[in-house]
Amino acid sequence: MKRWPLFALAAALLAYPWLVAGTDSAAFLQDTGALVLLAAIGASAWNIVGGYAGQISVGHAMFFGAGAYLPLLVYQHWQLPPLVGVPLGVAASLVIAVFIGFPTFRLVGHYFSMATIAVAELLRIVVGNWDFLGAAIGLQGPATARGWYDVIFRSAVPYYYIFLAVLALLILATWRMQQSRLGYYLGAIRAGERAARSLGVPVRRYKLYALMLSAGFTSLAGSLYALKTGFVDPDSGLGILVSVQMIITAALGGAGTLFGPLLGAAILVPLQTATNTWLGGSGSGLTYIVYGGVIVLIARFEPGGLLELWHRLLAARRRRAEVRHAA
Amino acid sequence: MSDFRRIFAAALAAALLAAPAQAAEVVKIGALYPLTGNSAPAGQAALAAVELGEDIVNNAHPELKGLPLAATAGLPHLGGAKVEVINVDHQGDPSVGQQQTLRLITQEHVAALLGVYHSSVALTATAVAERYGVPFVVGDSVAANITQRGFKWTFRVTPIATDFAKAYTQFLTEMKHAGKKVDTVAVLNENTDYGTSVGNSIVEAAKAGGFAVLQIVYNAKSTDVSAQVLQLKEKKPDVAVFVGYTADEILYMKTLKDLDVLPQMIIGDDAGFSDPSFIPAVGDIAQGVLDRSAWAEGPPGSATYLINEMYKKKTGRDLDDTSGRWMQAFFVLCDAIDRAGSTDPAKIQQALRATDLKPAQLMMGYRGVKFDATGQNILASTYLIQLQGKTYKAVWPEDRATAKLEWPMKGWK
Amino acid sequence: MILLQVIAGGLLLGAVYALFSAGLTLIWGMMNFINFAHGEFVMLGMYAALLTVTWVGGGPGVFGFAAALALFLLGVLIYFSLIKQVMRGPMLAQILSTFGLALLLRYAAFWIFSPNFVTLPTTVLSGTVDLGGILLTVPQLVAGSVAAGLGLGMHLLLTRTAVGSELLAVAEDRNAAMLMGIRPDRMQALAWGLSAASAGIAGALMAISFPFSPAVGETFALTAFVVVTLGGFGSVPGAMLAGLIVGLIQALSAYWFGPIYKDVVVYGLFVALLWLRPQGLLGKA
Repeated sequence: MKRWPLFALAAALLAYPWLVAGTDSAAFLQDTGALVLLAAIGASAWNIVGGYAGQISVGHAMFFGAGAYLPLLVYQHWQLPPLVGVPLGVAASLVIAVFIGFPTFRLVGHYFSMATIAVAELLRIVVGNWDFLGAAIGLQGPATARGWYDVIFRSAVPYYYIFLAVLALLILATWRMQQSRLGYYLGAIRAGERAARSLGVPVRRYKLYALMLSAGFTSLAGSLYALKTGFVDPDSGLGILVSVQMIITAALGGAGTLFGPLLGAAILVPLQTATNTWLGGSGSGLTYIVYGGVIVLIARFEPGGLLELWHRLLAARRRRAEVRHAA
Repeated sequence: MSDFRRIFAAALAAALLAAPAQAAEVVKIGALYPLTGNSAPAGQAALAAVELGEDIVNNAHPELKGLPLAATAGLPHLGGAKVEVINVDHQGDPSVGQQQTLRLITQEHVAALLGVYHSSVALTATAVAERYGVPFVVGDSVAANITQRGFKWTFRVTPIATDFAKAYTQFLTEMKHAGKKVDTVAVLNENTDYGTSVGNSIVEAAKAGGFAVLQIVYNAKSTDVSAQVLQLKEKKPDVAVFVGYTADEILYMKTLKDLDVLPQMIIGDDAGFSDPSFIPAVGDIAQGVLDRSAWAEGPPGSATYLINEMYKKKTGRDLDDTSGRWMQAFFVLCDAIDRAGSTDPAKIQQALRATDLKPAQLMMGYRGVKFDATGQNILASTYLIQLQGKTYKAVWPEDRATAKLEWPMKGWK
Repeated sequence: MILLQVIAGGLLLGAVYALFSAGLTLIWGMMNFINFAHGEFVMLGMYAALLTVTWVGGGPGVFGFAAALALFLLGVLIYFSLIKQVMRGPMLAQILSTFGLALLLRYAAFWIFSPNFVTLPTTVLSGTVDLGGILLTVPQLVAGSVAAGLGLGMHLLLTRTAVGSELLAVAEDRNAAMLMGIRPDRMQALAWGLSAASAGIAGALMAISFPFSPAVGETFALTAFVVVTLGGFGSVPGAMLAGLIVGLIQALSAYWFGPIYKDVVVYGLFVALLWLRPQGLLGKA
């Protein structure tokens, strides 16, 4: 694989906040950039189990929620810096992953999807009625920073680089996983579970590893969301839309690929923001007609995700080059 | 290079943003509503109310007596400058609310902000305004903690959950003294932030007022409410207070009739009972229900009556309490900007702090508008209105009443 | 007596759940396809009923049929313009396309009809029947019994008619069916039409007693997912049974434990059952 696209991507991502600086729209564009990265983190994390292992979870909101709730919970009850809650969120997510993974990984295909929906919904309802967790009203972070440790900034730029670092780490981890036995086994499981088992792949164990890795990073995405937004309630932390958003972001770019989720996020988040900014103020609902319409069109004409289109274009160019070479 | 940067940023901005209006001599106000999603009906009604408010401030309306800024065109202390409201949809999402607030402040350079309906979005959006030092006037979000975070830039005009609870308890106590049998009160609230905060406040206040209270909490958007109604049938409370959204409340009224359960009085906490679809759907079986509202149409010729006529002409429906509270908040903000004589946020903040509006200057039935140190309007209050025939009429407190209270309620009988 | 009232109400609502879930299970089982827009079909059925009542008038027979017909056509249209192509892609494309479709349909309704709640005029059907102390409304009785009848009808259509066996043949083995001279495209389009039509009728039946707005679909989609999984993918009798059970459990748990627990109980039992019997109540292992 050629290295230059990777370097170009990294350079573009690093330079983005500087590129848009200096205009009136700087703060907003930087903020949108941070939201793109956040969506990319969530979708990439989901991608490990949903894309690489082919286990379509529709309940990843439970990990996102755990990551979002714990930092604000430790602040709400004990005035601790929300950062303290981040590792707790990851730990809670790993526990949930094991707890969910063992029983549900016996289920195949749609049954797994439905079981994850049900568990996430169960969690959303329970949290929504539990006063300690803020019930329906939700939890808040510190309103203004008491110190650097509260990770509250007026500008979105610090968030942008924090998110970028986490995303880089996640993509690196995914890349390493792809090269390792875990990645190889997951590929076999995705291709056909029964065949994988007959080849001696410990299917359930490796599915669980993938889920735990995925859950940990999804929880980080939730924590980053909570740190930036300073608020979480059952709908924004545990709602079914949170899970679906991760899926469509990954699927739109290309599930089971390293950069598909980032591509999906880079299209969906600005699309959502632009439609809302352009069309939202009139209140006609056109925002979602356009947004939904674009998703339908992509699914209709490029069901494998946009990265596939990119690869096809590259392949076509290579073929043309070869033809020219031969001639 | 810097040229490239500017062009790149401008191109991106053009893609993501609506083109900023360049008209001179306007005061920009950013307004955030839920225009899509589950709360869209309320958001759209509020949008229409604020648009009407914009018209009233910007054009001369001498017929609206008493209302500041109505008689003149534009803001007199700013040389007649017009107000331009930039409307934004926050979709009921706390993160979108934050993002759009940021855009309104940094890109549109609004002088002040108005919002927001959802308490969750109010919490995140006001935090952005606080960091940038731009005044944020909250029209209708009721969660207590919005003004309890030591914020200097958040002002809230509306009464909040505890005010409603106080009003209900006071009303029921008066009824009891007047010889009506009011010993047990049932509170049925839905379990999102609105229902929970209002429901719990009512339960607390009613208990403190010496009533026996039965609280029933249910999921919003129910497809079936007969279990709750059957519980009422068993426990037979004297009064039932409903705190919930439109679909649930309509379903409750129908189910109450179907299962033949009628308490002496039903009090609806605004929201569902004030929705424009409530009366057409169940008006004839809900005769005599009380609704909480600080809005009353008033006698023909009065400012409120004329405002209602204008709103009806614009939308085809009557103004309701929620939208009225938005419009009132908009007027309070415009009044402050006018007195500040400037679009400088700090001066507007000062003017908001000095706000002291009397009841005659208001379109809503508050006892006035005056903010305390937290930014809460200490003179906010509410009426009770009763469904008599095809419309709600103000019946309590007595000095505000335009019709006589009917007790017990007739319902469908 | 109150307990009997709760049970009767729960079963009648469950019958309606059963009807729209039977539609979902049909394409789920036949084509292994999850439709996230199924709740929107129910919602559109409600609006179709409203338009019919306003423009044409007539009773539940008229607007129920109109809703079914409109949704049938919509289902077929969606199959040929979208689903057929999406099915060539991976399973995730299903979620992508139908989620996008759900947004599109919901907000198209939002645009056309406004976000406000509406109800059918009460003159359409009303009244209460007293069955020895159990009070049931006429809309409830009509909705429940028509839904149960149509669900049964769909089952008979699948098992007792030539069209039904062709449908099932395509579900069993597309290629083999093709060799037998069955055109799978037509059969799958028919399945989408039937699926949407059943959601449409269910919507029309519910519209008699529920206020609705473009956003109501979401609630029904989740219920349908649970019912279909519980019944076993592709099993129409399973979905019928599971619909009744879910309606009953919701009613009973709302009455016994309080209304906020009714979904907790449903989801909790659902997860437990999946663990014990992953193939669903009447599904094949």
